[in-house]
Amino acid sequence: MALIVACLAWGLVACVLLAALGLARRWRRGRPVRVDWVAGLAAVPRRYLVDVHHVVERRPEAARMHVPAAGGLLGGSVALMLAALPALRGSRAWWAVVAVLFAAALWGAVLVRRRRRPAVPSFLSGGMFLWLPGALGAYAGGALLLALGLLAAPDGGSPLLLAPLVLTVGGAVGLLVQFARGPMRHAFAGTVWLAAHARPGRFGGGRDTALRPLDLDAARLGALAPSDFAWTALASFDACIQCGRCEQACPAFAAGQRLNPKALVQDLVAATRGGGASYSGSPAPNAPPVACRGGMDAPIIGAGAMIHPDTLWACTTCRACVEECPMMIEHVDAIVDLRRGQTLMLGQVRPGAAQALRRMRDSAEPGGRPLAARADALAALDVPVLPEGGETDILLWLGEGAFDLRHGRTLQALVRLMRLAGLRFAILGAAEPDCGDLARRLGDEATFRLLADEAIATLNARRFQRIVTADPHALHVLRNEYPALGGHWTVQHHTALLDELVTGGALRLAPRDLPPVAYHDPCYLGRYNGEVAAPRRLLDAACGTRVEMARHGLRSMCCGGGGGNPISDVDGAARIPDLRMAQAGAVGAAIVAVGCPGCTAMLEGVPAPRPEVRDIAELVLDAVVTA
Amino acid sequence: MMTNAEALFKPLRIRNLVIRNRVMSTSHAPGYGRDGKPQERYQLYHAEKAKGGIGLTMFGGSSSVECDSPATPWNQIAVSDDSIVPYFRQFADRVHQHGARLMIQLTHMGRRTRWDTDAWLPVIAPSVRREPASRSIPKEMEPEDIARVVRAFADAARRCRDGGLDGLEISAAHGHLVDQFWSPSANTRRDAYGGSLEHRMRFGIEVLGAIREAVGDDYVVGMRMSGDELLNGGLTQDECVAIAAEYAGRGLVDFVNIVGGQARDDMAHAVSLPNMSFPVAPFLHLASAIKRAVDVPVFHAQRITDLASAARAVAEGHVDMVAMTRAHIADPHLVNKLAEGREDDIRQCVGAGYCIDRIYVGGDALCLQNAATGREATMPHDIRPGDVRRRVVVVGGGVAGLEAARVCALRGHDVVLFEREGATGGQVNVAARAGWREALSGVVRWLDAQVRKLGVEVRTGAEATAALVAAERPDVVIVATGGAPSPGEWPGAELASSTHAVLDGTASPTGSVLLYDEMGQHNAASVAEVLATRGCLVELATHDRMIAQEVGTTNQPVHLRELYRLGVVLTPNAELVETYREGNRLVAVLRNTMTGAEEERVVDHVVVECGTLPRDALYFALKDGSVNRGQTDLPALLEGRAQPALAACGVGEYALFRIGDAVAGRNIHAALYDALRLCKDF
Repeated sequence: MALIVACLAWGLVACVLLAALGLARRWRRGRPVRVDWVAGLAAVPRRYLVDVHHVVERRPEAARMHVPAAGGLLGGSVALMLAALPALRGSRAWWAVVAVLFAAALWGAVLVRRRRRPAVPSFLSGGMFLWLPGALGAYAGGALLLALGLLAAPDGGSPLLLAPLVLTVGGAVGLLVQFARGPMRHAFAGTVWLAAHARPGRFGGGRDTALRPLDLDAARLGALAPSDFAWTALASFDACIQCGRCEQACPAFAAGQRLNPKALVQDLVAATRGGGASYSGSPAPNAPPVACRGGMDAPIIGAGAMIHPDTLWACTTCRACVEECPMMIEHVDAIVDLRRGQTLMLGQVRPGAAQALRRMRDSAEPGGRPLAARADALAALDVPVLPEGGETDILLWLGEGAFDLRHGRTLQALVRLMRLAGLRFAILGAAEPDCGDLARRLGDEATFRLLADEAIATLNARRFQRIVTADPHALHVLRNEYPALGGHWTVQHHTALLDELVTGGALRLAPRDLPPVAYHDPCYLGRYNGEVAAPRRLLDAACGTRVEMARHGLRSMCCGGGGGNPISDVDGAARIPDLRMAQAGAVGAAIVAVGCPGCTAMLEGVPAPRPEVRDIAELVLDAVVTA
Repeated sequence: MMTNAEALFKPLRIRNLVIRNRVMSTSHAPGYGRDGKPQERYQLYHAEKAKGGIGLTMFGGSSSVECDSPATPWNQIAVSDDSIVPYFRQFADRVHQHGARLMIQLTHMGRRTRWDTDAWLPVIAPSVRREPASRSIPKEMEPEDIARVVRAFADAARRCRDGGLDGLEISAAHGHLVDQFWSPSANTRRDAYGGSLEHRMRFGIEVLGAIREAVGDDYVVGMRMSGDELLNGGLTQDECVAIAAEYAGRGLVDFVNIVGGQARDDMAHAVSLPNMSFPVAPFLHLASAIKRAVDVPVFHAQRITDLASAARAVAEGHVDMVAMTRAHIADPHLVNKLAEGREDDIRQCVGAGYCIDRIYVGGDALCLQNAATGREATMPHDIRPGDVRRRVVVVGGGVAGLEAARVCALRGHDVVLFEREGATGGQVNVAARAGWREALSGVVRWLDAQVRKLGVEVRTGAEATAALVAAERPDVVIVATGGAPSPGEWPGAELASSTHAVLDGTASPTGSVLLYDEMGQHNAASVAEVLATRGCLVELATHDRMIAQEVGTTNQPVHLRELYRLGVVLTPNAELVETYREGNRLVAVLRNTMTGAEEERVVDHVVVECGTLPRDALYFALKDGSVNRGQTDLPALLEGRAQPALAACGVGEYALFRIGDAVAGRNIHAALYDALRLCKDF
């Protein structure tokens, strides 16, 4: 009997491998990418046990479910397979081990079932998930009984064990179906994805967030069909276990704006399988119906395909979904790939964005304004303009926000502070082009490259120690995305500079007696660059009381201003900045401190009554002690 | 943000000077000069505008370059010797510190000044032609005088540059010496400086040439001039455009600053400084015409009181800089308020002309609706919260009460305002019903909006009683119950109605009306206009030497124009001594104040304006219960200290103050200043 059981386990594994082969065959239809398998596979245990579990543990109840379920199932099954060895097969101790492992798996199955009882929470999916605990329980329970039976009589072959054997086989068949057609494939797809991850720099606490440059000479640009994605990306979609954390973090979803990152990934999976509507979680809110037609080489985007275009354009690229994903899936990369396909292959740019993109190409500025006007707000401050070949300590990159009067006041405050600290700095004046951020987020890589090349050439023709900017989007592009194109400088956010000046004693602050201040982390400073401490240190030095919103730091919520949202109409049930300001109000903040022109504009656009919006530079200037 | 706002925030470069935005204040003479120097008061007045975000502020209207154009008459600035330079330096530092630019106007007034001041020198002009407004008969300038004045302009310009000012303009507007040469009405010379336009332009060209030589190339020099003198025999629009094009074309000026009209007589003066009876930006077209003819920036001022009009003027390309001089007197922070998206908080100039009317009678410029302007050393434009929170009850929602409530709320107090009527505004609401005085309602509109925004509990339709006030458990009570029209004190005074009653509708006179005025202010003149417009046959009599004698020089001509047009009979030097009933009509006895002769008028109605008497019943009801018996400590008030009564208040006790017309009938400015001065230290 013990041998039969062991053989069954081997058979199960063989079936799993066969199903995995099916998955792999599908992934192979994707774009080939070079993978360092040796290093990748070697890193898997650490990536799984440290990086993935770090995310999973943010929800302890999920971790408590996954450890016994996955550990018990895998451990128990391996132990069963090892029972093929006669020495182990005959050992009571071994069967005790097997029993303990399957008891754990059984407990795991109970916990899996409890997640969807009494009702399936909105962020979880139903469908095959509803009988997954049954299959798992049958397999684990059957195996537990078998193990107990064999523990009692290791070499016995009691006919009593026939019932558990049938139960085990039934459960195993169920699990196989769950693997081949259902969520259990995440174990295999996830492992492959962890080994072949597109951003290995993210493991071990790193922050690899730069979009990858596109070979603009290639025949196909971006992704139109599943086969245009890197095969690893296809594997990552299969790795999704539909835990719904991305959905809960997504600002567009919260505002009813036609995007649900979880549904998006599942729709991509369905597209690779030829379409159909098997997904049973929350859909993209308010999204118009689509035909659910798919296929490896069929279009993904369109009312006649799998995903409605509005869903694609609703993303703010805030990376909140990526930050929350325990499988470390790169939703934003997928969205940008799809946007690139729409924009570069079909000319289907985001509605409302065509003019901005054309102006970026024609006049290096999305508003079409003269570049010299960028420094208008600083006219009375006589900031020197760095000529070609010129040299200074700090180059102040003004960014797109400088055209806006409101951000002009922030820049004035920053310049005053830099003067007070005695810094030597200059601006580019009319030579500063747009950095191209908007074009890149909208998928127009060609326009991005045009502007990036110009900006890099302009900067490389001048000498400076570092670049400082008050715009986190420019910061991200200059610091993280230009290196791949030949621009390498030290780039600092203005809060980092001010923090350095205050810490170093060049600026002295006396905290002012202000009503409670809450800091709103800009996505491109926090999640994209991991900078969350300096702004808070500054606020602590400049303001009396600082409060934290429930979502802050790396898990902060987007203002709604990323990804090109502000230049087009976004249909939804609410406005993202309204939600965010309500969160600030809920913790009693009277002032929301910001560090990004986009956040400033979005949050100040919220109707009163609402907290006041002040840039950190303004708050610091108010608190500075002169002489 | 309003349409075209971005046009105002576009910096302007002139030579190497960058002005941060397109909003400026033109040179004027606020009467703040002392000993011919711009001292602390003058400097702080302009520094406040700089702090408030203005791009360019110009000071020293008609600053004199030479001793026979004395600085004395309007407390102006003398740039005729080097002692001015340190004051310029200090002034420039004060303004530059806030990022604004500072320029001055230089001029020689020629015949448009007085000979009977400190130096007692005869006035000079191109020709011996007397100007009605200034009344002086000039000496015709000899070639030596011309050379002397040209030299004086150049020396003065050098002092401006040495003093760190960002530039200067010469005045060739309002009938000063340079435009006296231009204008055939003042220049009848037959030498190289008179006759053809080319000859008449020569003097100004020599002045600007000498200035450029003195200050060098890297200095901004402009010129203020008329775009059309609007005067029979004066410069036409075509000639003005030709002059501007010629001076700009020769490279003599870096900007031109255009006005409409001239100022040779009373009406021309009133037109060149348009009051609330004029539309907004009445002469923008003149600046616009010159803008088409010159390639230097064009500046323009004249009743551009709102930023929307200013933005349109710049956005549509009529002008390059828009001057909002009186608008800044009303609110020196208007640019920052626009930049911060707080347009609603801007206290907009209503065009009362109170500021300018005061200086033409030798006073200092003060704003009808902003008591802090010109008093920056003692009165705050921004009121900061204090440390103590008090319960303040303000009784009366006229301008005194509204200002008191506003200031107290900004100080952080908890304020309740009682107003008997259905809306706040008090007597100003009544005054604003009179014809072209309607814009006065803007004073109330702003105060009311601010008070509500600041969270003052405004209880309209609620007449306060001592019991109601006590029920609020106040720490401070401010009685601002205003005044009621005084009926006059002659036998039969009860037969007459008040101007107030005519405007608020309680009296509706028809037929023949004798309107008797003891005050000489706007009230009687504007009510006479209202009655005549309604079809009454109106005689306006006053014991003064002239009608509307107390109304200033930019407003009185408008009243007189309207009264003449409407056929109102004007009878000065007549005192009302008695009224009595005869049949269904009234007889009014007028006595000539010079001869003593009496005349009778048989009329349907007599309307009188005798000022107001305080409404003080509530004050006296509250007086005994207050810790200070209603007395304001005057030394503390004048020295800007908190009222001692506040500290003396125990639990359940209150301090009582009385402000505005509830004390004695005065005007809007007095009411606002009473409130601001008292409450800023609460």
